[in-house]
Amino acid sequence: MNQIIDSLQQFWQFTGFANCCWQNLVMILIGVFFITMGIVKKWEPLLLVPIGFGIILGNIPMFPGLNIGIYEDGSVMNILYQGVRQGWYPPLIFLGIGAMTDFSALISQPRLILIGAAAQMGIFGAYLLALLFGFAPNEAGAIGIIGGADGPTAIFLSSKLAPDLMGAIAVSAYSYMALVPVIQRPIMLMLTTKKERLIEMPKPRQVSQREKIIFPIVGFLTTAFIVPSGLPLLGMLFFGNLLKESGVTKRLANTAAGPMIDVVTTLIGLTVGASTQADKFLSGKSLLIFGLGLLSFVIATASGVLFVKFINLFTRHKINPLIGNAGVSAVPDSARVSEVVGTESNPSNHLLMNAMAPNVAGVIGSAVAAGILLSFLG
Amino acid sequence: MKRILTSVLLLLAVSLVLKAQHISDLVLTEVVVDNENGLLDENGRHSPWVEITNSSQGSVSVGGCYLSDDPGDLKKFMVPKGDLKMKLGARQVMVLHPDFPLVKGSTLYLVSTDGKTIVDSIDIPSDLPVDRSVRKLAKDAKKVLFITEAEDAAPTPGKMNSDRQEESGAEKMARTDRYGGVLTLTSITVVFGALLILLIIFSITGGFFSGKFKRSKTPSDEEAAAIALALDMEQDGDIYAAIAAAVELYLSDSVHDVESYRLTIRQGEGSAWRDKRLTFRKLPK
Repeated sequence: MNQIIDSLQQFWQFTGFANCCWQNLVMILIGVFFITMGIVKKWEPLLLVPIGFGIILGNIPMFPGLNIGIYEDGSVMNILYQGVRQGWYPPLIFLGIGAMTDFSALISQPRLILIGAAAQMGIFGAYLLALLFGFAPNEAGAIGIIGGADGPTAIFLSSKLAPDLMGAIAVSAYSYMALVPVIQRPIMLMLTTKKERLIEMPKPRQVSQREKIIFPIVGFLTTAFIVPSGLPLLGMLFFGNLLKESGVTKRLANTAAGPMIDVVTTLIGLTVGASTQADKFLSGKSLLIFGLGLLSFVIATASGVLFVKFINLFTRHKINPLIGNAGVSAVPDSARVSEVVGTESNPSNHLLMNAMAPNVAGVIGSAVAAGILLSFLG
Repeated sequence: MKRILTSVLLLLAVSLVLKAQHISDLVLTEVVVDNENGLLDENGRHSPWVEITNSSQGSVSVGGCYLSDDPGDLKKFMVPKGDLKMKLGARQVMVLHPDFPLVKGSTLYLVSTDGKTIVDSIDIPSDLPVDRSVRKLAKDAKKVLFITEAEDAAPTPGKMNSDRQEESGAEKMARTDRYGGVLTLTSITVVFGALLILLIIFSITGGFFSGKFKRSKTPSDEEAAAIALALDMEQDGDIYAAIAAAVELYLSDSVHDVESYRLTIRQGEGSAWRDKRLTFRKLPK
């Protein structure tokens, strides 16, 4: 009998109840919150649900040394986490994004490309602020990339520059991406006049198949020659797009844009979530990262809108500044925000296709910015 | 058959070339002959040592290579094979204690696994003092071009020999650009530059790529009307009905397709639920 009681006592030591602390419970609540937002509010459910569950999974209190934790070498979770840690998943996601993205809007309105560059100010604004708050340059670069509004790029860069901050950066990036409509709308309204919001833009012209095929090749050569350090992201993005547009690799494009990106998104979401173990995540630094991440989104949105207003000073064919917010690479959410805010002012003014141009330019711009930061700070 | 054979031979040749390329990235970077107070070998003795550096960005196995100071016998000492420690990662350094005595005034050779190809060599000065090393320094941090130093030096076994301290990009930026202004301005310029080039390319060549220069014949109103009439006669009225129904459902938000803002109409094939013939195994034709 005593032996059974001893065994039960010993077993108790291995249970989550015996090893639990308040930090674990806080993180589990955060995980539940993420899942709830994903399911109830439908905010980026494909990301928030896996991340939320990952947060719960990574914060189940356990007896250390069982080789099951995400930070324990050789455990299953650790092996899956290597895709994040070593930066394998983000380029694969970019392959899928490339295979899903239609660059027609950008090709037909090249003048809107630069809005995608202007919105990258968010990255560098956050970089400067992070330096002011005492972060090292590599950490500041990794935090700044949150302003690119691109989860895979944020993971890729932080895995290279500041692996210890990756959990907070990734969760922050994905959270704010889910909150794009909430963050961007008031800034857009604040920085534009009623008259500007009513500007109507012509419909983008039809783009030929030849243009669509040439774009990924020319786009890749141009950007990769300028920033070779962005090769994993840019290469995969444009390769995926070539698969889609070439018309002869439909099966490959379908796989990249479908099953493959689904698998990788599931794994990246789950493992990023699981990497937020309370002892590593709950710190003043994480809170600061969340604050800086929010500021970077604000700066990025404001820069895009103000840049359009600046261009309008010199051009005859005015651009609606409501598409300036779409320069961040949250595709297509930020373009949808342009559409929604635009139709609120004028129900017949559909800006979606115009906003898609800076939106996809933002994807390229943030990958280029990540490459630059990597080459300077890596 | 001929084609397969050619392909196999080509692959073999390529793999041999690649292998050779990898081993050729190994460099003899430091040698100590009279080791009296320095590095200990695996037996706890102060024996002579040789340092090898992988100057490439890939991993290279040193296992199976040879060390020798005799051009007539290049296989004097074979580096043990199958030992994971003998695999050098990018820019990694290893130290070996050869089992033959190193002689001052001789030339030490690093020989490829074939026992014939000399990968690298280093001249050991005849006046090399005790506990001092002859070494090669990487003068160019990017290309890692090693040049033998004229003066002997204090040994640095297992460390990359460079004429400058290893400094990460972040450390350099912390030293040279404390407030981040330079990096910010540079980066913004590059991002704008990259996208500006795309803008210029597609603004100038858009017409060419889109085939605008080909004169396309647009149908007149009469022709368009005739085409529409012909289509109407050719096509089944059901297709129009299906399109109209799909658009109606889509606009009323009753149906949301897989892709937003894109309507896909698939030809109905009947489901296995109501048509049992679809579940029959197909007979080979």
